[in-house]
Amino acid sequence: MKKTILALAATGAMLVAAPAAYAECGSFKMAEFDWASGELMANIDKFILEEGYGCEIELVQGGTTQIFASMSEKGSPEIAGELWVNAVRETLDKAVAEGTMKVAVEGPITDLGEGWWVTQEFAEKHPELNTVEKVLERPDLFPDSEDPSKGSFMGCPAGWGCQLINANLYRAYGMEEKGWRLVDPGSAAGLDGSIAKASERSEPWFGYYWSPTAIVGKYGLVKLPFEAEYAGKDNWDGCIALPEQDCENPQKTSWVKSEVFTVVTDDFMEKGGVALDFLSKRIVPGPVMGEMLVYMGEEQATGEDAAIEFLSTKGDVWTKWVSPEVAAKVKAAL
Amino acid sequence: MEQLLTEFPELSRGALRDLRRYIDGNFKDFTREYGELIETMFDPLKWFLLWVQSVLLATPWPIVIIVLCGLAWLASRNWKLVVGTAAAFLLIGWLGMWEDTMVTLAMVSVATLICIGLGIPFGILMARSDRLQAIITPILDVMQTIPSFVYLIPVVMLLGIGKAPALLAVCIYAIPPIVRLTNLGIRLVDREVLEAADSFGASYRQKLFNVQVPLALPNIFAGVNQTIMMALSMVVVAALIGGSGLGTPVLRAVNNQYLALGLFNGMAIVAIAIIFDRVSQAYGKRLQKHREGGHGV
Repeated sequence: MKKTILALAATGAMLVAAPAAYAECGSFKMAEFDWASGELMANIDKFILEEGYGCEIELVQGGTTQIFASMSEKGSPEIAGELWVNAVRETLDKAVAEGTMKVAVEGPITDLGEGWWVTQEFAEKHPELNTVEKVLERPDLFPDSEDPSKGSFMGCPAGWGCQLINANLYRAYGMEEKGWRLVDPGSAAGLDGSIAKASERSEPWFGYYWSPTAIVGKYGLVKLPFEAEYAGKDNWDGCIALPEQDCENPQKTSWVKSEVFTVVTDDFMEKGGVALDFLSKRIVPGPVMGEMLVYMGEEQATGEDAAIEFLSTKGDVWTKWVSPEVAAKVKAAL
Repeated sequence: MEQLLTEFPELSRGALRDLRRYIDGNFKDFTREYGELIETMFDPLKWFLLWVQSVLLATPWPIVIIVLCGLAWLASRNWKLVVGTAAAFLLIGWLGMWEDTMVTLAMVSVATLICIGLGIPFGILMARSDRLQAIITPILDVMQTIPSFVYLIPVVMLLGIGKAPALLAVCIYAIPPIVRLTNLGIRLVDREVLEAADSFGASYRQKLFNVQVPLALPNIFAGVNQTIMMALSMVVVAALIGGSGLGTPVLRAVNNQYLALGLFNGMAIVAIAIIFDRVSQAYGKRLQKHREGGHGV
């Protein structure tokens, strides 16, 4: 089995240059993650794979955990363009070792990461509070709307992988004792809404977010560095990332380096080898992604609109990912 | 001509985008201008809800169960319901959902109180004037059918996340039945009964409070019952904007495929709903029986 895959992958790689190979691309399902950059990545991939390589792509909407569960259990969708692996690392490692999944590229978008952020205005007003640890000493600056004696720390919506991480870091840093309240925003809309509201009305805001995102670009959120060093994989994967009852003694640590992979299933490797080469070269620079996300926000563009905008205006970025023939086909289709 | 028939003459992309941006921009300006004021207006409700919640959480659980059973008995005079209430809440507590259930209970009770407080007067006004009915009915239709996710965005921009916006979202959805059924109940009161009241020289006020409202009570109670049910069905949606309670674990379960967690919390919502429904229906029926039979309750 493994040999066949290797052979097929090798053949696929060799055939990339040959136009005849394009016909071999089959029809696949691709994950369209339910956040803006996820939508954009999926639609760029869809457009290039369909128009440039003749694949048939059906987009499947969902969040990290649902999509990944479906990929590992059912083998569908076959492609996940922007998979945030921190939340699903163990299962992914196992699947890669077993050969049921393959990482097409590590880091399809550069300069990204999760962490704790404050609003731009707060960062400007309090330049001395420039690390997480310093801000943690000042819960009084972020009065909670339901209990003004406490500081409000906006965590992650219920059910996201980062919810467990935030809850454990909350304990590791003794935030309860320091006078903080861990607020559950309930949903992505709730989290974004709280940032938009705070930024529009010049209110302080301290909480979890990630980049690249339109919100970070638009409101200029500032990511605070942790003073603590990263306390190792055992602490993070073996405690911080687990449910509270499985993490008895969380250690102070900085946020783990975020990793985003493009992951495909074995089925795709067998049938869609030609497109694998494209996926492995497709790396979007962070600033370009940020620019596109602000465009999406301001123009209220869908992932598809933004993909067309990206392909029309950022030719210098994406033509490097594909052969000139493919690039010509994609351009013709625009 | 043919093109006109096969392709819908839609607004150009640019114009459509400008329209959307115009609406968004105006709303943003509005929140910047009045957001704080509106938030302050909602503060008393928020503190009341937080107070109810803290009372429920601070009261020892046996007392909460006894009080709930007492209420069930007073309303229904039915032993089976009382035993069912006690059993349901004991099971909820035993499965570790006591705190979330109390939070939800506080939210639903306060939302129901607000809906009754606003809904019954509106229903009475609507019954008085056909023109007002013609204006309010479509508004109620919108409130009941518009997908709640649509108004979550403006609600969050205005009030942030937490209890107040959750309460508002619940009330928008839960208030229509009580308004509708109060209106209906009063309109269904026999014209002859009103004529009799007139002939005794009853004032408008006397007619309303001593004849119309009492006779409409069974319908009004059906409205209260529906309002409670709809408030409970909004628990999960309210959790999306920080309402917490039983909705939060349901969301966590949905996002992680935790079958049992979702089922437990979902069933807890169902249990509360059934208890509230049976108790309020039994109370409504007792009111009716008293009126129809005329002898002894």
